Amino acid sequence: MTDDEARLTQLRRGTLPYCVLALLRDQPRYAFDLVRSLAEIDGLMTSEGTIYPLLNRLRRDRLVRSTLQESPTGPPRRYYELTADGTEALTGFAAEWRAFCAAVDTLIAEVPR
Amino acid sequence: MTDPAADALVGDFLDVLQDELAAVPAERRRELTAEIAGHIAQARAELPDGGDADEVALLLDRIGDPADIARDARDEDEHEAPPQQRRGGWIEGLALVLLPLGGLVIPVIGWFAGVVLLWASNAWTTREKLVGTFVIPGGYSFLLAGTLLVTAGPGGSCSQELSPVGEPIGSEVCTDTGGGVGPVVEVLLLVLLVVLLVAPIASALFLGLRLRRRNRIPTLVGA
Repeated sequence: MTDDEARLTQLRRGTLPYCVLALLRDQPRYAFDLVRSLAEIDGLMTSEGTIYPLLNRLRRDRLVRSTLQESPTGPPRRYYELTADGTEALTGFAAEWRAFCAAVDTLIAEVPR
Repeated sequence: MTDPAADALVGDFLDVLQDELAAVPAERRRELTAEIAGHIAQARAELPDGGDADEVALLLDRIGDPADIARDARDEDEHEAPPQQRRGGWIEGLALVLLPLGGLVIPVIGWFAGVVLLWASNAWTTREKLVGTFVIPGGYSFLLAGTLLVTAGPGGSCSQELSPVGEPIGSEVCTDTGGGVGPVVEVLLLVLLVVLLVAPIASALFLGLRLRRRNRIPTLVGA
């Protein structure tokens, strides 16, 4: 991996937790479901399996909580929802991100597409 | 009626994943492996007959390298360290009070209670804790003793004449020889007294400032 690729990967990995929080804003969701949504955004999620350690971290940090739900078609499935702390973290991130984006956009405005 | 070749691929994948997760606590390892296995099952359920070998290979490729998943799983534990936990709770506050002042209430033991809280807290680094412990041991426990030592000044002496069989003759004679120990020692004792006065508060201030500074740095759920 080149330095540039590594930097971009770090950038994506940094925002991924907040993307997950954003996806949980409207309703609780299953991990499989979250992965599907994330996969629609190019390059955001390179390894689907890593959603599970990520969700576990979010759970330990008390930004999400999970509940096991009985499934008629197989083993019980875990679904995730935002906690109050998670909502707060997401709101905070959104503000930071917008400011950051605006600043970077200004800097690269002259860079040809 | 799933394709046995596809099943074999899944089995191998999960085996490799388990191996890679060796460094992770057993319970978490089991849980994560089950989650990934469930994920694979759900993905295969969308394919006819659970997918053939090629389709499953593609699926597993999207799930990613077991080594990457295991690395993220190991990183879960790293963040149990201080940065993620609340700081400035009652333990910290009480420690900051007991370290200098505990010794005034119950000499040594009061201070020691502060030491126990200091080390129980996760808000300070080991080095900071060492400073808090050894500057100064006892806190103000010895302030009283130190003050008496300096102000009384071992400049006087008492003597008692004794008979050949050890019985006192006459009364005790005490003489105050004034600066009996000489100015140098007096100065040293004074310096010691100043140190005893300043160090415990300085140490508590140091710990308090470190706490405040650490609380200001926002913590994010990191990559």
